[in-house]
Amino acid sequence: MNTEYFIVLGAILFFPLLFSVVMRLGIYRHAGPLLKAMLIVCILYWTWDVAVTARGHWSFNPDYVVGVRMLGMPVEEWLFFVVLTFVSIFTYEAVRKILERK
Amino acid sequence: MKEYTLFAIGSAIAAVFLDHLLGSRVTARRSFWVAIAIMFFFKIPSNGYLTWRPIVIYNPEYFLGIRLGTIPVEDFFYGFGLITLTLVLWEFFLRRERRHEL
Repeated sequence: MNTEYFIVLGAILFFPLLFSVVMRLGIYRHAGPLLKAMLIVCILYWTWDVAVTARGHWSFNPDYVVGVRMLGMPVEEWLFFVVLTFVSIFTYEAVRKILERK
Repeated sequence: MKEYTLFAIGSAIAAVFLDHLLGSRVTARRSFWVAIAIMFFFKIPSNGYLTWRPIVIYNPEYFLGIRLGTIPVEDFFYGFGLITLTLVLWEFFLRRERRHEL
């Protein structure tokens, strides 16, 4: 068991999560759109990922994951899309707040 | 053409197409392109680490084998598609929420 992939995810998420609160972006006031957008993209990309992982497009080094797998993918890979969809929306809203002075 | 190459480019085109179809007009905004630039900047160390270690191992049968550092070029199209689709849906659901409030 190794937490390296988890740590990478944590590193990607840390500052966006912190600044989403500090910058008062107001994305949590729109929980509906936030969760809907994240969920739809997650479902699409999970499906894609499960299918091509099974097909052999890529594999996950067992040395660097905690070892919990669902449908052939480590739990870290499932969380990857939750993290990346959130970070995308955070980055876009942070840029808008600065550039468009919302 | 390799499968991952096709899927990655296809997903990027599909996300832009959906932006036009839904009228979310995300890709027409300067904030979108600035957000993409920031995401790509941070993508290099994180994606780079995942592929350098390697935590994710790519099968040469399914991608071109052209890498920027250790990152397969396909990953940039993949990332663009993932971010764009997320922001298109976010903008779409935000607008729908706003319309319902009026």
